Amino acid sequence: MIELETVKPFFTDKDELLDEILGRYPEYGRRSAIMPLLWEVQRAERHVSEARIEEIAEILGMHATEVKGVMSFYSTYHEQPVGEYHLQVCSTLSCSLAGADEMTDFLVEELGIVNGETDAEGRFSLQKVECLGSCGTAPVLQVNDTYFERVTRTRCVQLLQALRSGELPEPWRERGGDNVSAEKATLGGDDA
Amino acid sequence: MKVKVNDTELELAPGTSAIDAVFAAGYDVPYFCSQEYMSPIGACRMCLAKVGAPRQDRATGEWILDEETGEPKIFYFPTLMATCTTAIMEGMVIDTLSDEVRGAQNGMVEFTLINHPLDCPVCDKGGACELQDRAYEYGSGLSRFRFDKRHQEKHHALSELITLDRERCIHCKRCVRYFEEVPGDEVLDFIERGGHTYIGTLGEGLPSNFTGNITDICPVGALLDATSRFRGRNWEYDHTRTTGLDDASGSAIIVDARTGRIERIKAALNAEVNKSWIDDGTRFGHEYVDAEDRIKTPLVRKEGELVPVTWEEATGYVKAKLEGIADKELGIVLRADATLEEGVAAKALADHLQTGQLDHCPRPKASVLPEGDAARFTDLATADAIFVIGDVSEEVPAVDLRIKDALKGVSPPASLPHGVPIADLRLKERMPRKAGLLTVAAPYRVDLMRHAGRSVCYPVGGETAFLSALVKLATVEDELSEEEVAALGMPVDEGRALIERLAQAQNAVIVYGSFVLASPAARNAVIALAKAVKAKVMVMGPMANSYGLEAIGVMPSHARYSYQQMIRGGAKALILSGLDPAQDPSVAEALKDLELLVVHHHFANATTALADVVLPAKTGYEKDGTVVNLEGRYLPVRSAPVDGGQSEDFTGLVRYLGEALGVRLDGRSTRSAKRALNHLLAVDLRDLPDEGLLAKAKSRPLRRVSVKEQEAVSGNVLLVPSMVRPEFVSRNPQLRAAFGDVALCLHPDDADQMKLVGGERVRLSVDGTLRKATVRVSETVPQGIMLLPATPEQPVGLVSADLATLVKESSELEVA
Ligand code: SF4
Ligand code: FES
Ligand code: FES
Repeated sequence: MIELETVKPFFTDKDELLDEILGRYPEYGRRSAIMPLLWEVQRAERHVSEARIEEIAEILGMHATEVKGVMSFYSTYHEQPVGEYHLQVCSTLSCSLAGADEMTDFLVEELGIVNGETDAEGRFSLQKVECLGSCGTAPVLQVNDTYFERVTRTRCVQLLQALRSGELPEPWRERGGDNVSAEKATLGGDDA
Repeated sequence: MKVKVNDTELELAPGTSAIDAVFAAGYDVPYFCSQEYMSPIGACRMCLAKVGAPRQDRATGEWILDEETGEPKIFYFPTLMATCTTAIMEGMVIDTLSDEVRGAQNGMVEFTLINHPLDCPVCDKGGACELQDRAYEYGSGLSRFRFDKRHQEKHHALSELITLDRERCIHCKRCVRYFEEVPGDEVLDFIERGGHTYIGTLGEGLPSNFTGNITDICPVGALLDATSRFRGRNWEYDHTRTTGLDDASGSAIIVDARTGRIERIKAALNAEVNKSWIDDGTRFGHEYVDAEDRIKTPLVRKEGELVPVTWEEATGYVKAKLEGIADKELGIVLRADATLEEGVAAKALADHLQTGQLDHCPRPKASVLPEGDAARFTDLATADAIFVIGDVSEEVPAVDLRIKDALKGVSPPASLPHGVPIADLRLKERMPRKAGLLTVAAPYRVDLMRHAGRSVCYPVGGETAFLSALVKLATVEDELSEEEVAALGMPVDEGRALIERLAQAQNAVIVYGSFVLASPAARNAVIALAKAVKAKVMVMGPMANSYGLEAIGVMPSHARYSYQQMIRGGAKALILSGLDPAQDPSVAEALKDLELLVVHHHFANATTALADVVLPAKTGYEKDGTVVNLEGRYLPVRSAPVDGGQSEDFTGLVRYLGEALGVRLDGRSTRSAKRALNHLLAVDLRDLPDEGLLAKAKSRPLRRVSVKEQEAVSGNVLLVPSMVRPEFVSRNPQLRAAFGDVALCLHPDDADQMKLVGGERVRLSVDGTLRKATVRVSETVPQGIMLLPATPEQPVGLVSADLATLVKESSELEVA
């Protein structure tokens, strides 16, 4: 049903980008470009469809099955489009102990979607994920590429309100974190 | 290098893996992921052992000694090692028996079984399953796992030919590696990761001619041959090791039969020929043997009807008829996959009846015997320059795989006491391929071109001109004329570069097949080319014993006695084995005038419809005998216990007929034929070893047919070689489902012009014979030409089809 929008090959008019990405690797290592190419597609389309997989395989001279194999290894690539805001609740030990399960329940109730689902408007997706490496500031909620730490019920409500009004707040990080500057760029990419 | 395995000391070549050291020493270690001829990757962790080695003092270079014993001290690795990915070192000590090692192996078995469904009682692999055996030998027999097992799809059709049970898979990665490493196409892969990992493809089917091999190497019952699924247990099968008669490679196969029926065919190991791989045509193309309509008794025409009789009655009838037929008026023709013994029988019969009208079919216009230096498979696999003219992947697929060996540049493995190395450490996943050493030329784009450094599509039907132009480049300084440049199909510089590459190579091989063999001039040109660049040649004859039948002279004594002449009025009586010439209506007319037509075949067909006598024929799986593969290797053909009713091969036919005629002919049995062959070839064919015999037989055919220079051919249909034999495809349902019907391939523009679309069923008169096919549209076909698979009666070459006869077999849907 969404095949319509994928009719035009993704990389048709992106020669420069393609050259740049392929230029990063020597000819015999051309297949290494799988990851950045998948990532380009996903950033723009919030998922990588089969048509795109085939396109990437074509570009790299591989079989589509190989590309699919690489892609499916990483849970961060999506086969189905995720919502505008992809809420990823850490559900590993520290976060669980600090109330992540309750947070998930709350989000399920608030958004009317369960783990792995996207709402009808395509606005929110909810996903339980494994340790986000921020155990000291549990529980952690990652929205797209942005970390929100020590998410209490009140902060969760605030966050949802902000997101619903179309605004992604600054990340809540206690020790700086590494995505403060990258985050803007990513959001830009999402809008494109 | 000296290595010690438990208590056994042995000397092995450096680079040997520790697992091979263990087996070479006569000990066992369990393993799942390693596989002969494939890269060791250490995935299953089943082959653990305690491994250590002495160490040299850096400063002095002396061995560090154990203070107590005064012997070099053994430094053990801190953990148990996967022996498959560990290379031996001087003085290495490998322990596979200690409690520590046994405990680890036991643990690995338990781990591997955690998610395994343990459905051995309904699993086809049961009784021949590596996991079952290893669990029995090295496991504790008990499970401590109390949780739910992972549940996944149990009947996933990976293709029409292979069914995957994802619960049984233990993620050894053999199948995935196989596709990348052997045919060189990664069409199957791991999807997801960790405990969720499964084997899968994107899209439908497995686009390769070599898919079935994964069912042989899967260590569990995850990948199964769909033709045999649920048909029998391993211990019920009779396993017959024989030689596949599907093509000229002489690939070793194992025929598994049960209650008189072939249930499946597996690859057997012949290190010098097919290694342990076979193509899908060879593996799955056996269903016809058990077809409902197989002829199982002799039939004689009485009052217009063919009625069942005994062999004695049938041959008595033939004898009576023969009395009225003069010498030289009888023709005898074998199909080119008949054994040498059948050839001897046919010759003896022809000699007795004093006729020179003897032939085999298909027999290309040019000789299939290599002239000059003949290449073995091993030469091909170690070649440093290869020039292919033809479509090897369809003609003799085993050649395709051996060429891909050469691209990897790893010489064949040494042979160890236990056979081929289990873990050849020189092999890696995703090895770089030296595509540059391979040049492929064909009149259309063929599959092997994807792997070739250079590929050339020369004009259709232009083999002679193409090869002559190359010969000219190789031998004389002159510039090529305009026509010659056009015939080359590539820039002249590239032609020169190819010649240079071949000439400079240490071990160059030129491979050619039916396209070249269709013209004696082209064949002479390729031989001249090979001489000029000092290359060895490999000739792909059209059928399993094309080489042998030509070599022993199952040939007409004169050109006017050839098969083509015989069936067009040249003979008054005919004995045809395995052929169906009456598909061509004009031939059928001619056959009606015969005084006697004896057809030895498995099925009723257009020719049996005209026959006076029909004799049931054995298939290639039911015969005993010998064939000669394209290397000139004598290979044993052994009969599997298959119920063919009263079928006989040609030696049987000659025995019965000889009895009727009151003579004891050579070749009345395989034993007497072998005696005759011993005289003829000075090769003893009794008790041939499994891997065959490369004997120096007389390299010249005993009878040569003077060949008239063929006229320039033209046409609009190119008959092409095909791995799937079109004459059996309707009775090989599974193969047909996977590879489709006989296909008429044409260029999209031509298709448009003829208002044909892909998938349409059509009928078309090709060179006089009505052929049915399904349209396939492809850019790889040159414009103005259609490709159609060749049959024994319509061999490879350019022919004309009458487009006015093209009829669509329109389905109701289209009419509406
Ligand atoms: S399907 Fe068989 S060969 Fe393939 S990974 Fe699983 S167990 Fe190994
Ligand atoms: S457990 Fe949640 S971030 Fe590590
Ligand atoms: S780890 Fe699988 S055989 Fe060695």
